[in-house]
Amino acid sequence: MSVKTEVDEAALTAAGNSVYVYEAPVRAWHWINVLCIITLSITGWFIASPLPSVSGEASENFLMGYIRFAHFAAGYVFAVGLLVRLYWAFVGNHHAKQLFILPVTDSKWWAGMFKEIRWYLYLEKQPNKYIGHNPLGHLFMFFAITLGGTFMLVTGFALYGEGAQEGHWSHWLFTSWVIPLFGQSQDVHTWHHFIAWGIVVFVILHVYTAIREDIMSRQTMISAMIDGKRTFRE
Amino acid sequence: MSAYETQGFKLDNSGKRVVVDPVCRIEGHLRVEVNLDSNNVIRNAVSTGTMWRGLEVILKGRDPRDAWAFTERICGVCTGTHALTSVRAVEDALDIQIPENANTIRNIMQLNLYVHDHLVHFYHLHALDWVDVVSALKADPKKTSELAQSISSWPLSSPGYFRDVQNRLKKFVESGQLGPFSNGYWGNPAYKLPPEANLMAVTHYLEALDFQKEIVKVHTIFGGKNPHPNWLVGGVPCAINVNDTGAVGAINMERLNLVKSIIDRSKEFVEKVYIPDLLAIASFYKGWGYGGGLSSKNFMSYGDIPQRANDYTASNLLLPRGAVINGDLSKIHEIDLRNPDEIQEFVNHSWYKYADESKGLHPWDGVTEANYHPEGPNFKGTRTRIEALDESGKYSWIKAPRWKGNAMEVGPLSRMVLGYLQPKQYPIIKDTIDGVLHKLDLPVTALFSTLGRTAARGIEALYCADLQVQQFDKLMANLKAGDTSTANVEKWEPSKWPAEAKGVGFTEAPRGALGHWIKIKDTKIDNYQCVVPTTWNGSPRDAKGQIGAFEASLMNTPLAKADQPLEILRTLHSFDPCLACSTH
Amino acid sequence: MSTETFYEVMRRQGISRRSFLKFCSLTAASLGLAPTMAPQIAHAMETKPRTPVIWLHGLECTCCSESFIRSAHPLAKDVVLSMLSLDYDDTLMAAAGHQAEEIIAEIRKKYKGNFILAVEGNPPLNEDGMFCIHGGRPFVEVLKETAADAKAIISWGACASWGCVQAAKPNPTRATPVHKVITDKPIIKVPGCPPIAEVMTAVVTYMLTFDRIPELDRQGRPKMFYGQRIHDKCYRRPHFDAGQFVEEWDDEAARKGYCLYKMGCKGPTTYNACSTVRWNGGVSFPIQSGHGCIGCSEEGFWDKGGFYERVTDIKQFGVESNADAVGGTVAGIAGAAVVAHAAVSALTKARDKNDQSKGGK
Ligand code: HEM
Ligand code: HEM
Ligand code: NFV
Ligand code: SF4
Ligand code: SF4
Ligand code: F3S
Ligand SMILES: [Mg+2]
Repeated sequence: MSVKTEVDEAALTAAGNSVYVYEAPVRAWHWINVLCIITLSITGWFIASPLPSVSGEASENFLMGYIRFAHFAAGYVFAVGLLVRLYWAFVGNHHAKQLFILPVTDSKWWAGMFKEIRWYLYLEKQPNKYIGHNPLGHLFMFFAITLGGTFMLVTGFALYGEGAQEGHWSHWLFTSWVIPLFGQSQDVHTWHHFIAWGIVVFVILHVYTAIREDIMSRQTMISAMIDGKRTFRE
Repeated sequence: MSAYETQGFKLDNSGKRVVVDPVCRIEGHLRVEVNLDSNNVIRNAVSTGTMWRGLEVILKGRDPRDAWAFTERICGVCTGTHALTSVRAVEDALDIQIPENANTIRNIMQLNLYVHDHLVHFYHLHALDWVDVVSALKADPKKTSELAQSISSWPLSSPGYFRDVQNRLKKFVESGQLGPFSNGYWGNPAYKLPPEANLMAVTHYLEALDFQKEIVKVHTIFGGKNPHPNWLVGGVPCAINVNDTGAVGAINMERLNLVKSIIDRSKEFVEKVYIPDLLAIASFYKGWGYGGGLSSKNFMSYGDIPQRANDYTASNLLLPRGAVINGDLSKIHEIDLRNPDEIQEFVNHSWYKYADESKGLHPWDGVTEANYHPEGPNFKGTRTRIEALDESGKYSWIKAPRWKGNAMEVGPLSRMVLGYLQPKQYPIIKDTIDGVLHKLDLPVTALFSTLGRTAARGIEALYCADLQVQQFDKLMANLKAGDTSTANVEKWEPSKWPAEAKGVGFTEAPRGALGHWIKIKDTKIDNYQCVVPTTWNGSPRDAKGQIGAFEASLMNTPLAKADQPLEILRTLHSFDPCLACSTH
Repeated sequence: MSTETFYEVMRRQGISRRSFLKFCSLTAASLGLAPTMAPQIAHAMETKPRTPVIWLHGLECTCCSESFIRSAHPLAKDVVLSMLSLDYDDTLMAAAGHQAEEIIAEIRKKYKGNFILAVEGNPPLNEDGMFCIHGGRPFVEVLKETAADAKAIISWGACASWGCVQAAKPNPTRATPVHKVITDKPIIKVPGCPPIAEVMTAVVTYMLTFDRIPELDRQGRPKMFYGQRIHDKCYRRPHFDAGQFVEEWDDEAARKGYCLYKMGCKGPTTYNACSTVRWNGGVSFPIQSGHGCIGCSEEGFWDKGGFYERVTDIKQFGVESNADAVGGTVAGIAGAAVVAHAAVSALTKARDKNDQSKGGK
């Protein structure tokens, strides 16, 4: 599988400056995923550093339980989403594959990356045009979501399997080997927690750049993730 | 240096060298080598700590609030005493005052440790030096019962009871699988007890094994487990709640009742089993007056069991404090743990490196850098096959601590004698010792011997069993007065600590004076040094050639059989050596 | 005399058949087995000789031995006198020196392949192993030789299983767990610092009774005692789920027995039986007595950061940094960078517009 990213000007003009890039499942996944990750990050934070104690009978309260439940529920949705998204990479359009592949052997892609970096350092007047992801964004998405998300999924379900106990699929599939791999459970927690920060950092940069590109570059961004069409402004 | 005199002992290493390695029925790894003259009398003794773990190195850079857990693992036998010493050192450095209840609970736990450790030592680590298990098979259970009943009102004393135990023992021995009794020195002429006394002692060996597990439950209640209960800088971790909802999640009336029942039963066991056995056994060994070593010359105790919280001065301590040197019992010296010239450790004969080994180092400036190096003209063997060590070179993993330049003996004997010498402050100690001496018809000088060391431990167990009850009552009185506080958290957060601080914590561990010195820098441990009872007692020689307490105690002892180290074990065991402690 | 069976030993100790059978059903219960297993235990005990055990000590603190003798069911006394034959154990044995060393040699020869080697502590490997000397030579040699003839090895405690305190950074002696030195024998790890007494004796009785090694998890621990976390069965768990935590030592919550999570409790990451079997005959366990679990049965628990920290250290970033310190800092920098970048972007854009409107074309 290879991915073509740079703009084919001829095709573009034929399409009237607007291309259908993100198919509905990709868009739906994107926004569901946004909700999941926000939920996971906030509930994860409160799992690690719980809120001040509530008063009353223990049996009357379930605050920590609900927070953890929300985390696990979002975790499940996140996991299913990632799997569906992976499936869509096979059946969807050409751009649906991008998230899972880095064209590291493509010198043009690297050149685009450096141009993009220069653009962020205010050294370029204009960035390149891309129908799919720009190389820099592509790189970050791959590391943060494809790899980082998978890591969170694996470690998350390994931790989940500890509570779910032997016999539960997550214990069999993940806990059984992830815990021994790290040596013990505590390091799995620590790394799950640490990479969570990595994802938060990605989100900050990603949201900023999405908005910024929307405003400053020559192509639509946010609306592209809404109606699927990338429109070029000139 | 084949023959010289030090501390009143004539050392001569010209005779036959006998090696005992491993020395068993102790904690950790110890080797001794002695030279025997033609009459099988010990004329030179060399004691070697044969393990090192590097706790002082490992502690550097860590959170001072965690140090108790690390140092507690120095030893699981005197479990808890290092932890207590450690939290005291940190509290001293950071000037943390602990609540009254925390002090009392710590006292109860520490006293509990004495009772447990002394009892286990007497029966399981020491008794077989005096008690011949095989001879017990020949005993008449009826006469054993008579003997037992004549010395104690302990109910388990019928002829049938002793017969059952004897039968169990008989068949055990007949099975040919002797387990821990294999290859013992049974029948050695140094054993003096009649069969009946042997049977009684073996029976109590088993009974004590069952009972000791009850004693430690006090640690379990306050510290969550034993060995290695939990401690806390600033107090104790167990909150007290005797009134409100939720009390079941804390120290409540049920827990306190359990403590009470255990300390009462412990006291009874010490009074009715341990002490009578001790007296009965001792009465047959009165003539065996060896093993005094340094005990009548140089000895000391830091003191422990502060009656009021946060006051560690001698007058507030229920276990005595002070030092005696050069055998001058009329003068009790005050000890200053902070004075750089008092306590110092030397490594001239230890496998460590100092920049300048001609000087000792006070623990605040202490250095622990391992340097394994067996050496000397008389060393025999190779680096990894030691046949004979040479005491003129480096020969032990134990450092050589000195107080004002003197090798000191520490432990129950030192404590009890210091109590005896201060009868106004410690009338019970004086009375108990007088009572024991009277029963055995022995002069007070008889204390300065192997047997005296063993007797002092028993006397101390009795004293501490009693203090445990007293401290418990004090705890209850304080609770009754409405104070249930157990921890001071004002300085829990490292952000409230000074950039630099240093402190010293001390306890009397079961085996003797224990100190931890800590230096804190930017909220982390900058230096941590432990000087431990068995570091004192098991000390190798120093620059001046002065010998340590183990070595001194073995001097001039005759062996009944040169190839059976029974007398060596007897005297070494009287110190209750702990080698994991000594080198840490 | 030929070797006796366990039942014979119990019989001649005056134990009746009835109480023997009762003992068997108690054993079944304490091993978590169905009562129907009792006859099988009885049969095994009636027909088997006492298994010799050599108990070696490396670098350690002897608290595993101390824990062992605290066992209430079975009593340590009965284990030592009746169930197995503890022929060598430096801490308890009568003999010393040569007489002690001879026993190891004899058991190795006489019971080759048929004795259990119990190891407390571990061998240091630095200085050619001479940080722990046994009979004038490195302990690791004695360990290897003895292991070669053993049937199986029990690694007692955190020391033998993982390395424990002496292996904490910087591990100056290179203290090494048993399984890294002995690789060709079945090894049963019974971790904990120390392990619970009744867990120790249960593992031994299981092996003697069923003549097999208990089912182990991937890390070599008996599943029956190490299959669940402290947190899974902690009686303070309802407070955890409710969100009720001790915030400070000796606060109201501490006095009510709330969850110790915020005080650094490692129960959620620690596999051990403390919250169920409990300690010293079921009297209590660390959490019940108000202190969090410090994770003493877990590998490397000494080096995971402070015992009172909830979010613990990442070793790759040095001792002082935990996930929040590193992650939070990076996120903060990212946030600040975004703000700054946005500001500069707005300025450049404004300037460009200016340029354009000034008729740059
Ligand atoms: C938790 C928050 C978010 C995560 C984890 C996330 C993740 C992603 C991922 C993985 C992609 C690649 C989609 C694919 O190739 O299938 C993507 C693309 C995109 N996201 Fe997000 N996103 C987040 C929030 C947002 C928000 C809040 C916006 C709008 C302000 C946004 C706008 C976009 C846009 C415009 C693209 C397309 C970029 C391009 O065309 O190169 N995202 N996002
Ligand atoms: C982007 C994705 C995720 C983020 C940001 C995230 C974040 C976090 C954080 C910060 C913690 C606290 C860790 C600690 O300090 O102990 C945590 C715990 C946890 N997470 Fe996630 N997580 C993510 C995905 C998942 C997934 C997919 C699962 C799978 C079900 C999962 C399951 C868990 C579990 C079981 C815990 C431990 C809960 C406990 O100990 O009570 N997480 N997560
Ligand atoms: N020596 C020593 Fe210890 C004691 N008592 C402690 O400080 O035994 Ni393990
Ligand atoms: S595992 Fe812990 S308890 Fe056992 S010997 Fe090692 S330090 Fe002591
Ligand atoms: S006290 Fe510890 S083990 Fe118990 S519920 Fe709280 S976190 Fe879990
Ligand atoms: S500290 Fe250890 S004793 Fe149990 S509760 Fe935790 S595993
Ligand atoms: Mg030291």
